[in-house]
Amino acid sequence: MSADRPVSYPDVAGTLRQRTREAVADAELVGNLRASADAWAAGRTRMEEQHAFAAMRERARQIRTDAVGRLPELLRRLESEVRAAGGHVYFAADGAAACAYVVEVALARGARLVAKSKSMATEEIKLNEALEEAGLRVVETDLGEWILQLAGQHPSHIIAPAVHLNRGQVADLFAAESGRPVPREREALVAHARGRLREVFASADIGVSGVNLAVAETGTLCVVENEGNCRLVTALPPVHVAVMGMERIVAGWDEAAHLLEVLPMAAIGDDAATYVNLITGPRRAGEQDGPEELHLVILDGGRSALRGTEFEEVLNCIRCGACLYSCPVWRSVGGQAYASPYSGPIGAVLTPLLEGPTSPSAELPFLSSLCGSCDDACPVGIPLHDLLVRARARVRPPQRRRERAAFRVWSHLWRGRVGYWASRVAARVGLRLLGRRGWVHRLPGPGAAWTSQRDLPSRWPPT
Amino acid sequence: MAADLAAELIAALERRRGSGAAVAAERAAAEAAAHVAGVGAERAVLADDAWLRGLGLAEALSDGGVEVLWWPTGHDVRELLGLDGPEATVGITVPVAAAAERGTLVLAAGAGHGRAIDVASMHHLALLPAERLVRSLAAALDTVYGRGGVAPSAVSLVSGPSRTSDIEKISTLGAHGALDLHVIVVERGGGSEDP
Repeated sequence: MSADRPVSYPDVAGTLRQRTREAVADAELVGNLRASADAWAAGRTRMEEQHAFAAMRERARQIRTDAVGRLPELLRRLESEVRAAGGHVYFAADGAAACAYVVEVALARGARLVAKSKSMATEEIKLNEALEEAGLRVVETDLGEWILQLAGQHPSHIIAPAVHLNRGQVADLFAAESGRPVPREREALVAHARGRLREVFASADIGVSGVNLAVAETGTLCVVENEGNCRLVTALPPVHVAVMGMERIVAGWDEAAHLLEVLPMAAIGDDAATYVNLITGPRRAGEQDGPEELHLVILDGGRSALRGTEFEEVLNCIRCGACLYSCPVWRSVGGQAYASPYSGPIGAVLTPLLEGPTSPSAELPFLSSLCGSCDDACPVGIPLHDLLVRARARVRPPQRRRERAAFRVWSHLWRGRVGYWASRVAARVGLRLLGRRGWVHRLPGPGAAWTSQRDLPSRWPPT
Repeated sequence: MAADLAAELIAALERRRGSGAAVAAERAAAEAAAHVAGVGAERAVLADDAWLRGLGLAEALSDGGVEVLWWPTGHDVRELLGLDGPEATVGITVPVAAAAERGTLVLAAGAGHGRAIDVASMHHLALLPAERLVRSLAAALDTVYGRGGVAPSAVSLVSGPSRTSDIEKISTLGAHGALDLHVIVVERGGGSEDP
C-alpha cells in the first residue's frame, strides 16, 4: 500500500516488528542511544533547576495554540512581508509540488552544487532525491547529517540525527570519504569535517535550509543552530531556498523571543543555541554578502487538514526532539526503526496523520508503551499520550482489524450467562490440554503473539 | 547596573566556553589587540563602524603585525572562509545589543557589517558598547525589531563559539563557525565619544 503523501522512507526494508527486533538486538546501538538520552536528561534537569520551566512551557503552549488558530491570517502576513523584503514565496500543497519548485529554481540558475543545512521539512519531502534526479550534487553540511549522507542512512533523531553512531563508526566513514586515515578523537573528527565542508560552502550555487520559526509581522525566518553551517548556507551561496512547514509561525517578536528560549532548553539543555539566524529578505544594496535571491517554500503536506480536528495540537510541535529522548521505546529501538524522518512519540502520531490512515506507517502509534513521559518532556505541552491513543483508534491496518474482530466476538460472548460460562469451561479445558508441567508456553492462532513474551498457567491458581 | 549586566553576560558566555572582559574605552584597543595576538590571528576582518574606528583598534592591530581589512573587504568567498589567503583570521564585530541573562550578542547585517564575518572567520572577537546591554532576549530583539523601522536583512544571535553535539552527544567546539568567542564590553571611559 502506498500513501497519498509518502513521508516514510521508501527504501527501508522489513516490517516494523522486524526492524524493532533487530534494533533491540543491536547492543552497540542501544548503548549509543542510552548515552544520548542520559545526556539529554541531565540537561533537562539543569534547565528545570535554573529556570521556571513549567511557567515557560505554559506560555509556549499558549503562543503555539494561538498561532495555529490564526494560521491563515499569519501566513498571509508572512507572505506579504517576505515579498516586501524582496523574497519569493511559494505555497506548496504537497511534497511533490515543493520539490518541483526547488528543482525549477535550481535549473533556472544553472546550479550544480547545493549546500544544505539540516531541515526536517526537506527530509519529509525527499528534496535531496529530487535534486539528485535533476542532476544536482547535494551535500549536507550539518555534521550529523553529513555523517548519515556518507553512511547512506536516515536520521534517527530530529536534532541529533547521527546519535545512533559512535565516534569509531564516524571515523571509519570519514576515512572512506577522504581516502586517508582519520583519528578517532571527537575534536579531530569535527576538525576534519570542518576542513572538508569549507570547499562546499565556497562553491555552492544554492543554499537550502529549513525554518524553525517564521515571524509574520516582519517576514523574518529564524534558523536555529550550534555549528555555524546554517549561517554559511544562508549567507554565502547566491541563492537561498528555505523550506518550512506551514505551522512553524508566530505573530510577532514577543512570541518568537519566548520560543527561541524554550527551544534550546528542551532540545539541548541550554538556555541559548549558539547561533540563531534571523533572515528578512535577500541581500540589499551595498551589502557584500547574503543571497541575491531568497525563496521561501511553505509546505502544507497534510497539515491544514489537521486544523480543527482532535489532532490539531500536533501542529504546536517545535521539533525539539525532547519526546524522543524521554521515550523508553525510542531509547530502546532508536529512530530508524520508525522508517520516518519523524520518530519517537511525535513521529508515531504525526507520520500517519500526514500520510493517511491506510499507509504502512499506520502501525506507528502502537510503537509506544503509553507511559506518558512524552507529555512531561514536551516544552509546548502537546498531550502526546492522548494523541497516541486517539491515533490508535483512528488507524485500521489489516492486522488490527483481525484483533478488533476477536475482541468483538469476546464481548458478544460475555454478554450472556451461557456464553460466559461456556467460554470459561472451554478456556479451562483448553489450557489443561495445551499445558506442560502447569504452564502454557504457546497459544494457537491470535493468542500466539501474547505468549511470545509470556507464559500462562494451565491451572488456576497455579500449582 | 551596566557593570552587573556585563558580569552576567560574561558569566553566561563562559558557561558555553566563550570568554569576555569589561574594560574602559581607553583600554579597549590594547585589550583587543592583545586578544588577537593571543589567538595567533594573522588577518582581522573588522565591521565598519564609526564607534569601532574611534577606538583606535586598527592602529593597535597593525602595530602588532596583523593585517587589517574593513568590511566590505571586496574579497571573494574563498578568502573570507580562509581557503585562500591566511587561514588564521579573526572577525571583529560590533553587536547592536546583547542579552545579558542568556549571554547572547545581537549582530545586525548592513553595508558595513557582513552576515558571515563572525562564522566565516577562525576566531570571533566582539566589541560591545556597555550601554547596549539589556537583560532579556526579548528586550534585545526589541531594540532591533520593535522600533517601527525597517528590519535588517539579517540579524545573527551569537551565544558562544561554534559547537556540535552530533558525535556521541558530547559538546565539541569548532564545528563550522569560529573556534572561540571573546567579548570586550567597553565601558564609557573619561574623554571617550558617545557610541
